[in-house]
This record gives sequence, structure tokens and C-alpha cells, in this order.
Amino acid sequence: MSHGRLASAGLLLAAALVLAALGASVLPLGSPTAISKDLALRGPTAAEPFGMDDLGRSVLSRVVHGYRVSLGVAVGAVLLALLIGGSLGLVAGYAEGLAEQLIMRPLDVLMAFPAILLAIALMSVFGTGAVLVAVSLAVVYTPVVARVVRAAVLATKVEVYVDGARALGASVPRLVLAHILPNAATPVLVQASVLIAIGILVEAALSFLGVGVRPPTPSLGLMLADGRGFMLEAPWMVVFPGIGIMLAVLAFNMLADGLRDWLDPHHAGGRS
Amino acid sequence: MSSAWVYAGRRLGLAVPLLFGMSLLVFGLMRLVPGDPAVAVLGYKATPEGIRALREAFHLDEPLPQQYLRWLASAARGDFGLDFRQNEPIGRMILDRLPVTLELTLLASAGAALLGVPLGLLGGGRRGGAADRAALALGLVGVSIPDFWLGIMLILALSLWAGLFPSGGFVPFTEAPLENLLGMALPAFTLALSRAAVLARLTRAAVLDVMQRGFVQYARAKGLGERALLVRHVLPNAAIPIVTVLGLQIGYMLGGAIVVETIFTLPGVGRMTLDAVLERNYPVVQSTVLVIGALFMLVNLATDILYGLIDPRVRRR
Repeated sequence: MSHGRLASAGLLLAAALVLAALGASVLPLGSPTAISKDLALRGPTAAEPFGMDDLGRSVLSRVVHGYRVSLGVAVGAVLLALLIGGSLGLVAGYAEGLAEQLIMRPLDVLMAFPAILLAIALMSVFGTGAVLVAVSLAVVYTPVVARVVRAAVLATKVEVYVDGARALGASVPRLVLAHILPNAATPVLVQASVLIAIGILVEAALSFLGVGVRPPTPSLGLMLADGRGFMLEAPWMVVFPGIGIMLAVLAFNMLADGLRDWLDPHHAGGRS
Repeated sequence: MSSAWVYAGRRLGLAVPLLFGMSLLVFGLMRLVPGDPAVAVLGYKATPEGIRALREAFHLDEPLPQQYLRWLASAARGDFGLDFRQNEPIGRMILDRLPVTLELTLLASAGAALLGVPLGLLGGGRRGGAADRAALALGLVGVSIPDFWLGIMLILALSLWAGLFPSGGFVPFTEAPLENLLGMALPAFTLALSRAAVLARLTRAAVLDVMQRGFVQYARAKGLGERALLVRHVLPNAAIPIVTVLGLQIGYMLGGAIVVETIFTLPGVGRMTLDAVLERNYPVVQSTVLVIGALFMLVNLATDILYGLIDPRVRRR
């Protein structure tokens, strides 16, 4: 597949999932939370292609509603990290010297832990819930974003057009916002897409492990945790939520790959 | 002294403040737990005497800097205090469980390397061929499969349905080597797949990069066969980025072990961490997070140094 097509396929898939998540309540799906005893553990049918769970809830409806949490947490975390990490990286890259050291060295400490371990440790302190998962993820992502932005700023600020703007008397905020920041956008965009993909995985993992989203909120990770107890009688309870997670992660990874190859053919790997 | 050793020394020098910062973060984080940590640790079993004993044992009445220094000094000696739930030294518990986590990580690293590197090499060697398509597909799909879901699916298909592998539990290698390896096969594969995907991608990219260099084209012009070209000229030059990324993946697996050990009920440090988090057993959380974090950092440091020793260009940075 060519890079342009990979990016568009990823974009299409991601857009479809986001739309489904946003429109979950108007789509012709059963209730994600209504319990029905006589439907419990019923296999896939034409009306309910993903089957029913142990409480007789529609797995399809729960997967679609689960995307709200998955995508909401992942996108929210990335936006928060872009805001905080982006500003820190911008200042560090532009100022250099002492300010850079004061910003980047503490962030190195955050990056010195495996991402999932740091997220679990943060959740253990602050408790569970979707908002806290997003905040924890944002903490994990902040140093990643800061590094990417700082590197982009360092590379951009020595360009001739920046010198030119400075010589013409542009103020520092104008230099940074109008001349440096737009050129840092490419690597940041690619990184943001990768981080959304990882965020979907980490949210599902945390919820699966019992330190993420709280029931009865439909979350793909929680569905897998519940389904584990029934996987012999009702394999659809673990098969479909897993495929659901994979599709969402794949969409954002494809988007990132396509964007990366399209915008910057000489890229060399990021944190995963 | 040669520049390689200067470089290694400098990296080591940077690791010390980093380790210090990590300990400060872990210590500080655990002090952010809302409420009285003594009550949180003891839970519903909290009695006034129990709380007093715990406050004393962890010196919770001392000023924070003093508490921190005391904790750091003991932790540096491998003494993490007593686990109040199991009444066992935490350091001992970690040492007992560490071999499981290390074995899992090593097996998974070997698996990831054996799966990812050859695929990337073949793929990059003949761009657009079948191996290249496979490397590209694995690179994309492999990193998108949730490892905990892969583990569940493998248990369902290969353990419960086919009965080929045990679905969990752990037998020490020293007691029954064959049973141990059979039991570790699925967990190691689960942990390895996404890392194999990363390695396949990277190897492919590194090979493609080297293939474009002048000396490769020269060797080809001299009439050297494709296979000899790949093995003798391309692989040694592509090896440097591959080794680096393999090192980073080993570190990553230490985090992934938390998830995989939980699914396959392996008694490792990862599972110990999660259990402690779920029980709000903060002294244990604090210790295991620091130990896993330090291991992660050391693996990355070793990779960094190795990279510098192999490739003289890195040292100048």
C-alpha cells in the first residue's frame, strides 16, 4: 500500500470509529447497560452479531460505547500532554541553557520508568476512573511530547527565515508562534497519532487490570476482564472487544505511519 | 584513556542523578496518597496499636526529608523494610520473584529477535517481495494487538481448546526445565510479538538504508551474490541500530511483564506490583516500582554504552 493510501485508510477508519463513538446513543444499538436475564451468554445472531454478555447486555453496543471511553481518554490525554509538554518543550528549546536543564532533567526522570508501570503507580495513588486514567496518561506522555517539540524547535530556530524575521524586529512571541511553532507541527502530529494509539492500549490494559475505568462504564478493557471468566462458554465476550481495541489502535498507527512517510521520509523511530 | 571509556563513564555519570530523581519521584508519589498511609496499608484490619506500630516502623512521624534519606539508605542496601500484610521482608519477596520476571523477559527478547530480525532482513533485502510484505504487515498489526488480549486468545485456543500448553502457573527451571519452558512459551510469545513487530520494522528500515550505500552497490557491481551481500556487508552495518532497539525493547518488556504475569498467573515482580496496587499496599508498591524502574534504566544505560562502544560516531554526541 502506498503511503498516501495508508494514511487515508487510517484516517477513514479512525474517523468512522470516532463518529460511531460520538453517535453511539443515536445508532440503532441496544442499550449498553440494560440487563436481561434470559439473553445472558446468548451467542451471535443476525440482530446481535457480537452476542450477549453474562448479564444479557449487547456486546456490540458495549463495544461501540466503549470507544467513547477509549478514544475520549486517549485523545484527552494527548491534548493535555500537548498543552503541557508542548509548552515546556517550546520554552526549553527556545531558551536553552539553565531553563532547558531545569525543564528537561525532571522530565527525564518520568521517562526513566516503563510507561505502563508509571501509569499504574499514578493510578494507585490517585484512584480509578476515566478522567484519572487520562491525567495519568498525560503525565506519562508529557516528557515524550516535550522532547519532540524541543528537538523541532532547536532544529527550526537556526533556520535563515527565523534569523530574517528576528533581524526585521519580530518579537519573541511572534518568532515562536508564527515562525517556529508551525514548523514543529509535523513531528508533533505524527507523535500525537502514535500516542493516541498507545493510549487506547494503555487505557484498556489499566481497566483490564482493575486500575483504570470503573464499572459499569462500558470500557473495552473491562469487558475483556469480565469475559475472561466466561471464555469457554461465551468466547464472543473476549473475541469482539479485543478486535475492537485492535481496530482502533491499528487505525491510529496507520495514520501515524502514513503521515510520517508522507511528511518526513527520513524519520527514525519513536517511543512505543 | 580511550574515548570509548570516557563515553561509558559519562553515561554512567548521568545515570546517578537520574536514579536519585527516580527514587525521589517514587517516594514523593507514595506520600501523595490521600489520607493516612498507615490506615491505607492496614485497611479494615487497622487498630490503634497496629497503626502506631506501622507509623513507627516506617518512621512516619519524622520530617519528610529525614524519612526519604532513611528509606534511600536502606533501599540502596536492598532493605525495603517489612511487608505488613505478609510479615516478610519486601527485599526478600522481590528477590524470590525476580527470576521469574527475568526469565520471561529474556525468553521474550530472544523470541522477538529471532522473529523480527530475520523477517526485517529478508524484507529489506528484497523490497516489495513476499517477506517484505510480511515484515510490513507484522510491523503494523503486531504493535496494534493488545498483549493482554493476545494472551487470553492463546490460552483459549492453545491451552483450553487444543490442550497443548498449560494455561498458567509456574514451575522453576531448576526443578523441571522442560515443564518450565512449556509453561513459559505462551507468556514469552505474548510479550514478544509486539516487540518482534518493532524489530522487524526497524531492521527492514536499517537494511534498506544500508543497501543504498556506495559500498553495497560496489560489491554488487563486482558480482557478489545477493545472499553474500546481505550477510557480509549489509547485516554488520545494519546491526548497530538493531542492537540499540533490541536493548530498548528488553526494557519495555519489564513493563509489559506486569500484564503478562497477571494473565498467565506467573509469580513475578510485575504481578507482585499489581497485587500490591490493588491491595493499596504502598510500601510494597514503592519498592517494586523503584526496582523495576531501576532495572529498566540500567538496561537502557547498558544499551547506550554498548551502542557507543560499537559505533565510534555516537561518542561525539
